[in-house]
Amino acid sequence: MIEVEKMGKPAAPIISGRFEGDAIASSRAFGMPELQFVVVPRIYRNITLEECVGQTEQAFDQIVATLTQNGAPTGRLGTADDGAPHNFEGDDRFDAVHRMNEEFIGRDWGDGFPLLPATREAVDELIAGTRLPADHVVCDVPPGFGVATVEKIAINAALAGARPEHMPVIIASVKALSEIGPHGGKSLLMSTSPNAPLLIVNGPIAKELGINARSALGPGRDNRINIVIGRAFSLCLRNIGYWYPNEMDMDTIGTTRKFVHCIAENEAASPWQPFHVDQGFGADENAVSLFITDGELDVQDQGNTTAEGLLKTLAYGATFGTMSLQSDDKAGGSERLILMPPDVARPVGNSGMSKQEAREFIHAHANGNLGKMIQYMPLEGEARVAENWKWLENLTEEQRLQITVSVMGSADNCYIVVVGADRAKTAVLPSGPSPATVGIDQYRPG
Amino acid sequence: MYLLEVLNPVARQRALESPFQPVARPESLDGKTVGLLWSGTHGGDVALKRAGEMLQGRFSGVTVNFYTGGNYPAPPHVVKQAAEECDVVIGATGD
Repeated sequence: MIEVEKMGKPAAPIISGRFEGDAIASSRAFGMPELQFVVVPRIYRNITLEECVGQTEQAFDQIVATLTQNGAPTGRLGTADDGAPHNFEGDDRFDAVHRMNEEFIGRDWGDGFPLLPATREAVDELIAGTRLPADHVVCDVPPGFGVATVEKIAINAALAGARPEHMPVIIASVKALSEIGPHGGKSLLMSTSPNAPLLIVNGPIAKELGINARSALGPGRDNRINIVIGRAFSLCLRNIGYWYPNEMDMDTIGTTRKFVHCIAENEAASPWQPFHVDQGFGADENAVSLFITDGELDVQDQGNTTAEGLLKTLAYGATFGTMSLQSDDKAGGSERLILMPPDVARPVGNSGMSKQEAREFIHAHANGNLGKMIQYMPLEGEARVAENWKWLENLTEEQRLQITVSVMGSADNCYIVVVGADRAKTAVLPSGPSPATVGIDQYRPG
Repeated sequence: MYLLEVLNPVARQRALESPFQPVARPESLDGKTVGLLWSGTHGGDVALKRAGEMLQGRFSGVTVNFYTGGNYPAPPHVVKQAAEECDVVIGATGD
C-alpha cells in the first residue's frame, strides 16, 4: 500500500490487531513512517465471512477517516535508534555485564541467552578479522533493510561471542541473505510460518575453524563454532535486518531453527563433489550457502543397503507438507534440502549413481496425495489458484484424493548436502526459495 | 564501581534516509473512484466489497473498482493499475 501512496494516491491498508506492530515496523522499513492504517481485531483469513463483514462495518469510520483526514504526526521516525553506545555502571565488571544484558535483552536486541559485551576493543579485534574497513557497507539486510557495515556486523558478532577468524564466514552469511529470492526473502522472513535461515559452509575453512560436519545441528562442545557463527549471524539479522519477533517476524508458533545454526558439509565422507562446487565454486575455495527452511523431518532407514532402497525411503519421507496452487509453473511444488548422512550417500554413490541422478530419483519418487496437500486451503470462492490448477475446483474431495503429484517442481528443487555421523538417518527440510552461495575468501584478511 | 561502554548493535535503516510522506487527503469522497485492492487472502475480498458498498452509501457518485492479481501479495502491476485508475485505494493486508 506504500507503493500506492508513493504514486500519489491516498491508501487505507486494513490490518488486524496482531499486525499493528508489524505495520509500524514495515512503514519504517519501506520508507513511509507516517503511513496511516485501519486496525480490525482479527485476521480475515481465519474467520467466517459474516465475521469479515461485521468487523469491517465496525471499522468503517476509521476507513473514512484514513482516506479523508491528514494524519497527525506519529513521531515514529523520531523513535529510530540513534546508534549511540550504551554505558553501564556496576559494582564490578560482572555486575555491569549483567546490567547490559538486562537492558539489551529487554530491548529485544538479543536471542534470550546472555550476551557478551561488545566493547570498542572487542569490536576492533573482530574488524581486524576481515580485510574490509569498518565503514564498508556489505549489503542492506532484509526484512527491515538495515545497512550492514562491517562494524555493525562486528558489534553483533561480539555480542554472540565470535572470534576474529569467524568474521569472513559471518560477513559472507549476511551477504548471502541479501541475495536470497526477491529482496532477500523478505516476505518469507515476515511470514506467519516458521521460515528460518540455515548456513552450510564448504571448503577447507570449515576444518580450519572447527565447524562440525557430523552431528552438526545440536548443542554442546562439538558444535561450539557452529553455534557461535550461527548466533552472530542471527543477531545481525535481528539488529541490522530488524527481524524482531512480533514486529517484522510474525511467526505464529515459532521454531528453534531461528537459533540459526552454521554447519559444514561432511566433504570427506561424501562420494560426490561438494555442494559449493555444484554452485559454481572451486573445491579449494571457501563458501557459505544460505537456505531458508520451513521444517525438519528425520527420515530413518532400518535396513536398506541398496541405493534404490535407501533413496525410496528418503523420497517417501520427503512427501510431508502442503502444496501451493498459486504458481503458474505447471509442476508447482516446493523445494527440499536433504541433509544426507554418509551411510546413505556412500552406498548411493558407490552404486555408480551421480548426485544429479540421485536428485532425479528422489524427485521421481517423492509423490504425494494432492487432495491432502491442498486441504489447508479451501478452493471454493478462493482466487489464489493459478489458471493451470482451476480444473481442480470442479472436482469433489474424493476425486482430488485420487490424484498424485510430485512434491517438488523438478529435480532442481532437490538439494543434497552430505552431513552427519554414522547411521542412515536423513534430515529432510522443506526449503525455498533457491539457496544463495557466497564466497568467503573475499572477506578474509589480505 | 565499574564503567562499561557497549557499542550499539542496531543499524540505521536505508529507507529512513529519505522517507516519503503520505499524500494529502481529499476532504470528501463525493464523486471519487475508490480502488479495492485484494491481496488474495481469504475473506479480504468480502471485507473490501462491504467497505465499498458502505462508501457508496455515505458519499455520492462513488465509483468502486475491484483489483486482484490472484496471488499474495498483490503483484506490482496490479497495485500500479489501482493507483493509476483510482483516487483512493483500500487494501486488506497483514496476512
